Amino acid sequence: MRIFIDLWWFFKQERLKYFFGIVFLMLSSFISLLPPYVVGVIVDDIRTRSLSSFILGKWILFLVIIGVVYYCTGYLWRQLIFGSSIILANQLRNDLYKHFTKLSPNFFQKRRIGDLMAHATNDISAVQNAAGEGILTLVDSMTMGAMVIVTMSAFISWKLTLITLLPMPIMVLLTMHYGSLLHKRFGKAQAAFSDLNDKVQENVSGVRVIKAFGEEDAQINVFRKASKDVVDKNIAVAKVDSLFDPTITFIVAFCYFLALIFGSKYVVEGTMTIGSLTSFTLYLGQLVWPMLAFGFLFNIVERGSASYDRIRRLLAVKPEITDLEGASTQVPSGAIEYNISNFHYPESGSNVLSNIDVTIEQGQTLGIVGKTGAGKTTLLRLILREFDIKDGQIRIGGTAIRDVTMEALRSAIGYVPQDHILFSATIAENIAFAKPEATQEEVERVAKLASIHEDILHFKEGYKTVVGERGVTLSGGQKQRISIARALLADPEILIFDDSLSAVDARTEVSILQALKQERQNKTTLISAHRLSAVEHADLIIVLDEGKIIERGTHEELIQKHGWYAEMYAHQQLESLVSEGGGKA
Amino acid sequence: MNEEQNLTHLSGSYVMKRLLSYLKYFKRKVAITFIVLLIATGADVLGPIVMKVFIDNYLTPRVFPVQPLVFLAVSFVGLYAISALFNYYQVLSFQKIALNIIQIMRVEVFAKVQHLGLRFFDQTPGGSLVSRITNDTETIKDLYVTVLSTIVNSTIMMIGIFAGMFFLDVRLALICFILMPFLIVLMWVYRTLSSKIYRVTRVKLSQLNAKLNESLQGMAMIQAMRQEKRLRNEFGQINHDHKTAMLKSVRLNSLMLRSAVYSVYLIGLMMILSFFGIQSFDNVVKIGVLYAFINYLDRFFDPINQIMQQLTIFQQAMVSAERVFGLLDDERMAPVQQGDSSPAVKEGRVEFRDVTFSYDGKTDVLKHISFTANPGETVALVGHTGSGKSSIINLLMRFYPIERGGVFIDGEPLTGFSDDELRNRIGLVLQDSFMFVGDVADNIRLSHNQITEEQVKEAAEFVQADKFIEKLPNQYHEPVGERGATFSSGQRQLLSFARTMAQNPKILVLDEATASVDTETEEAIQLALSKMRRGRTTIAIAHRLSTIQDADQILVLHRGEIVERGTHQELLQKGGLYFNMYQLQHGKGLENVSAAK
Repeated sequence: MRIFIDLWWFFKQERLKYFFGIVFLMLSSFISLLPPYVVGVIVDDIRTRSLSSFILGKWILFLVIIGVVYYCTGYLWRQLIFGSSIILANQLRNDLYKHFTKLSPNFFQKRRIGDLMAHATNDISAVQNAAGEGILTLVDSMTMGAMVIVTMSAFISWKLTLITLLPMPIMVLLTMHYGSLLHKRFGKAQAAFSDLNDKVQENVSGVRVIKAFGEEDAQINVFRKASKDVVDKNIAVAKVDSLFDPTITFIVAFCYFLALIFGSKYVVEGTMTIGSLTSFTLYLGQLVWPMLAFGFLFNIVERGSASYDRIRRLLAVKPEITDLEGASTQVPSGAIEYNISNFHYPESGSNVLSNIDVTIEQGQTLGIVGKTGAGKTTLLRLILREFDIKDGQIRIGGTAIRDVTMEALRSAIGYVPQDHILFSATIAENIAFAKPEATQEEVERVAKLASIHEDILHFKEGYKTVVGERGVTLSGGQKQRISIARALLADPEILIFDDSLSAVDARTEVSILQALKQERQNKTTLISAHRLSAVEHADLIIVLDEGKIIERGTHEELIQKHGWYAEMYAHQQLESLVSEGGGKA
Repeated sequence: MNEEQNLTHLSGSYVMKRLLSYLKYFKRKVAITFIVLLIATGADVLGPIVMKVFIDNYLTPRVFPVQPLVFLAVSFVGLYAISALFNYYQVLSFQKIALNIIQIMRVEVFAKVQHLGLRFFDQTPGGSLVSRITNDTETIKDLYVTVLSTIVNSTIMMIGIFAGMFFLDVRLALICFILMPFLIVLMWVYRTLSSKIYRVTRVKLSQLNAKLNESLQGMAMIQAMRQEKRLRNEFGQINHDHKTAMLKSVRLNSLMLRSAVYSVYLIGLMMILSFFGIQSFDNVVKIGVLYAFINYLDRFFDPINQIMQQLTIFQQAMVSAERVFGLLDDERMAPVQQGDSSPAVKEGRVEFRDVTFSYDGKTDVLKHISFTANPGETVALVGHTGSGKSSIINLLMRFYPIERGGVFIDGEPLTGFSDDELRNRIGLVLQDSFMFVGDVADNIRLSHNQITEEQVKEAAEFVQADKFIEKLPNQYHEPVGERGATFSSGQRQLLSFARTMAQNPKILVLDEATASVDTETEEAIQLALSKMRRGRTTIAIAHRLSTIQDADQILVLHRGEIVERGTHQELLQKGGLYFNMYQLQHGKGLENVSAAK
């Protein structure tokens, strides 16, 4: 029941809705007790042959009124209680989303997106259920159950009530037991289904290998087994699920049986009328729901609590990077100085970067090269302050990046990441991501700079073409160039390219670099790359190896040194000549 | 959006008919279960009649002979015991049938997908395909469970109750029949309205999830571009729309579900009371009959409530079924053997004769390609992205049908070979070395169980993958996770080499990786590749100098055409490409350059 205390803030916030909701719900329950009473009275009148058309008409009119009132109260409490629970889900979802936007990139790398999605969907709906169905079952099992039992014992016969209700607790216990059993088995069935999903996912992504090795039939067999497992687990669920109705029917029938046997005895003894007995059995029917509700209540509450705990834990995660107190809101500008003695990621102990001392003047270009895992990306992510450096400092125009707000720091920097993230929106909207108010001319201008304009015009709907998961599939190179255009549109003082030209061909690379040079005079650019041609023109190139700078200088200087850079350069020249067909055509 | 366009629209009745046709696999079971259902319903319906007999024959006249009463009591409890047992059996049995039908349907869809051509996979986004095989069939499962369990059950129950009513009093039963039009109208209106609202809520929910998923994936970008506030508003808007749609559905349910059904119940109750009341003015009324009628009325509305709650599921399932059947009827099949000559690959001579090819039927990606690779020779394909290298490989693997020109192996047309012969004799090594969940040995052997543990090890040794495998804690039984993420790309490459070598193919088709891996593995890969090529006809998309240098024939492709061809030496003499290369290497040995990488 703790969930109701945990959600108290919400009940307080929506107190009027919940108050009236519960009032109407109780009223509904009360009203539903009246028709059986009417039936009892009429049966007795029929039996004693004292029924007149006036009396009958009166009761029928009464039933009509009951119908109308019940319909209205039923409508109202559903609207109020279920409506509120939807508002709760809506609020929690917004809170979670807002919280997500504050968490550091590191958080999203550690946690699986699928899990986070589950919190925002399954857990929220379990909490919503607790605030809706949970309240309903709580109120109904308590008040309606009590009302029916009180009515039965006060107005008809407390002895008969007691006798008849003997089997009911068995039903409550059984259905509760089924409920928890069902929950467990359902979890297993879900897991089997998700395995099946993974299997199909693997199959679809490995389709070429499967076809090349003639694995189709073997795959069908594996799938058949996985699918059979899903069937078996679901049958296990069905075995429990199918128990509910027969159990209830049988126990309720047994209650009827007791009611009739003992009721008849009282009728014969004259302590009860046959009409009362009829009403009694009808009331009995109305007890089934509150009893069931009592069983459901426990399951709903249990699930809601667990889910709400998970949501709260998630909301309690503190962002790793926050603005320092008194941080300046002035957008930093000027030379970039890296002074890092060493840096390692929070989870691992080994240094990713050590002894990095580089200064790049405003308006210059820094090239960063080196093998995979040498620390290129880390170096770039540090200036975005995705992590804080303990031993060292990065300064822009003499100000440590830690001493300005995140907002100010990010305003100074444009970032083109390694993996290109486009959103499900039109190409124009994607390019204008950082500046939604940009005009079409502005968008096209940067698209031209990024050499993507022509490609875009080839799409059926041009700049209005929708991309992302639900839209047109773009090639890696096209995605890269759109991300470049996106970063250019913001026109930041510092532009970061994290291996952002890897998927474009050499000719396009040259034209993009050319455009950058003209466009970004007096602005600083940091480029990391595998292909050395992308940094050839840089004012300073550093070669990283295992987090250390092993060579530095301009392209010409590095070629002279005959070190790693020079060898790599020669090698890449050859390869590009070969794969370009020797510059033919 | 794309997904919807691919759909051929099938009519509702056709979909329903086809769905029901799956029942044919379980004729006997369905028949037995149906009989059990009838018995259970019969027992349910008889209960109130026993009560009526008790009230009218014994309670009202106050006569209580022991024997008949014991008989009545026993039969009352007995009837409900039968009803409980038989109902358990029938509900469970219908669920089992539904689940087994889905099993058949799933395997059918999956098998169909396995035999679809790559053209289909090129045109269908992976995510939506997965969702058709799993989620859509899951929705159809709900339909079977609903239709078989709830709707059949409820309908039979309602018929049973009417039968009981007619048995007790024909006139009153006829009067109660008046309720049916009310209920049917109610259901029809609810169905129409709810389907609209339901569709909207589903759309909103999927938008909500899509937005959230996308935001979570791109959060770093959103933050770097300082768009948190805007995205929060956008999400808030979708969330708000979703809430509005949900509230609408709550309103509809409040208006039309239980409360409305209860009103109809009250109308029924009023009719029964009036009927007996008016009768009682002049006649003696049997209280037992009245009791039984009210009891029936009580039960009559449960099935109605159940059916109404299931209506939305029903509609969603029809949409899913349409999608699944659309997939089952897809005609973009993989090319298969033509004729039944079944030649064998003996020497491994590969020949392309004037092959022109287009993926979409509009732009030709290969134009008049002709070349011959003699047994044991290596042909290197070079050229930049989009020049047609991969298409040549795709055709040789018979991934796509060849429409113009011909490909021949040992002089026999490619189309004549059986699938098995082709897959066993042509070994493909892809750039992206795909790993399956399982262990290392599984990944080398795949489904070819005749490959022994020894042969697996030999294959690994041959490509020198044994060194790293033996360092693994479980060696050849080291588990491989999703997409082989625990292995480096170099290791994955070596494993995929071993996989190909375990098949001992006659012809090797190689799509060399462009991405550079670490120096150590790189050397192992180079070495493995040259060993693998020995004695095998090799068609390679070459990126590595060593592969190109060793090739017996180099084809330089540009925009789907072969623009230059010859051996290394010939091309060197021709000048152009190889002349340039030679110049660059002068004074700086190639070995040096390769080693540096």
